[in-house]
Amino acid sequence: MDWNKFYEVFSDCEIQGSKILIKSRLHDVIKFIKENYPFDILKEIIAIHNQDGSFELIYHLYSTIDEENLLISIFVKDKAESIVDLFKSAQADENEIYDLFGIEFTGNDNLKRLYMPESWEGHPLRKDYVQDDTRLCWNDDNDA
Amino acid sequence: MTITTLKLNLGPQHPSTHGVLRLLLELDGEKILSCEPDIGYLHRGMEKMAEKLSYIQYLPTVDRIDYLAGFFYSELLCRIVEKALGIEIPEKVRVIRVLLLELNRISSHLLWIGAFLMDLGAVSPFFYAFRDREMILRYFEKLTGQRMMYNYFVFGGVRRDIDFLEEVENIISVVSEKLNDYDKIITENPIFLRRTLNKGILDKETALNYSITGVNLRASGVDFDYRFQDCLYKGFDIGTVVLEKGDAFTRYQARTLEIKESIKIIRQALDYLKKSAKLEQKLVNPVNLKLPEGDYYADIEAPRGLASCFVRSLGEKEPYRLKWRTGSYYSVNLLRKLLVGEFLNDAIAISGSLDIILPEVDK
Repeated sequence: MDWNKFYEVFSDCEIQGSKILIKSRLHDVIKFIKENYPFDILKEIIAIHNQDGSFELIYHLYSTIDEENLLISIFVKDKAESIVDLFKSAQADENEIYDLFGIEFTGNDNLKRLYMPESWEGHPLRKDYVQDDTRLCWNDDNDA
Repeated sequence: MTITTLKLNLGPQHPSTHGVLRLLLELDGEKILSCEPDIGYLHRGMEKMAEKLSYIQYLPTVDRIDYLAGFFYSELLCRIVEKALGIEIPEKVRVIRVLLLELNRISSHLLWIGAFLMDLGAVSPFFYAFRDREMILRYFEKLTGQRMMYNYFVFGGVRRDIDFLEEVENIISVVSEKLNDYDKIITENPIFLRRTLNKGILDKETALNYSITGVNLRASGVDFDYRFQDCLYKGFDIGTVVLEKGDAFTRYQARTLEIKESIKIIRQALDYLKKSAKLEQKLVNPVNLKLPEGDYYADIEAPRGLASCFVRSLGEKEPYRLKWRTGSYYSVNLLRKLLVGEFLNDAIAISGSLDIILPEVDK
């Protein structure tokens, strides 16, 4: 795939094989790729809590025409841009990440607790999540 | 005059939600104005659990992500480990896996046919479908010791050599015969046709935009089947079913036709296995198994769409992060769009036709 056109607009991005590392302008990057390249499916969004406390978001695009994968990786603190207006499936992924990692997506106002109860504190897939949560032990000895 | 809308809870304890799915519907009379799926009733923390367990400890649990197609998920995890360690599985193991995956696909589709027809009010096809599925489950039980949670694929191979091949032959000949019966009692049934034809039409662009994969996508006219790129299926002659219309009936049709294609693949696998020698494999020693540092990714064409597994390893015994992608999860999200504008009595037919299974959604 010819990435020169992409480089002209987003010169600060780094391309490693089928992975693009970006620093900012997530929405613009994905919009540009969707409009100019044949990637038609957002397979999933993967979130990873790094040891230094930052979050890595990997947007996994796929082309059913060329059968090619493209990963777009960005490091965020606790906020990211939503891409629901580009791929509707992102609603499902962003909601899951919001629930399990506590990352807010600006532009998506339909975020809610998904797997965890509404009143649950903390986000289970964060590395600093407390493991011995007494709320998980429903026995008589437990007051919680 | 003010127009009042009615909010209706569909589920979570509704027989046709195939698990525990709650749909919050907003109705104007019989018409659905909006749909908000509420999931998480079956959440078991599969991804969190992985971070605390070694790979071999985690392997038996992955069958439970989709208990109707357990082989697919153990295959994914095995594939991740094999990829990371650079192991190439022997030819015979590959064919055994293909045979079992396709049998599993048939049993999963058969269950769906029965359950879908039951959703629509027809009770007897359920028993026919379960009778045929039972043969496959009995075979799995004989081979693996379990009817649903097999734990049969292990890193580098399979637990024991395949056996009872004449039984598989019997199963596929019975199933392909019974498919004609299904055509007679289901596909030609006027009530069934009325309830599914032109209901819940999913067009190509919407399907792609909502990340729908698998049979649902192919029923909407997109020719995308991951099995064609899959190394596991190398050397097999695979047929795929691509239909254009994208309504509930087409999705039903696509699944029944896919069973026929799976039978063809099983026949090829049987031909190979009957002539093959005794199984020779070198299994990975799971004690102290550590994956080299890096990101690993594996995909498979599961019965409910593309399933994939992502693992980031830091060279430890446990994965640093493990993520599953499951087809049903995105089908639930699609309900927000697909049910709007339809009538309430079609809601069950439409959501049922997408083949949503909740353990896969909630993970």
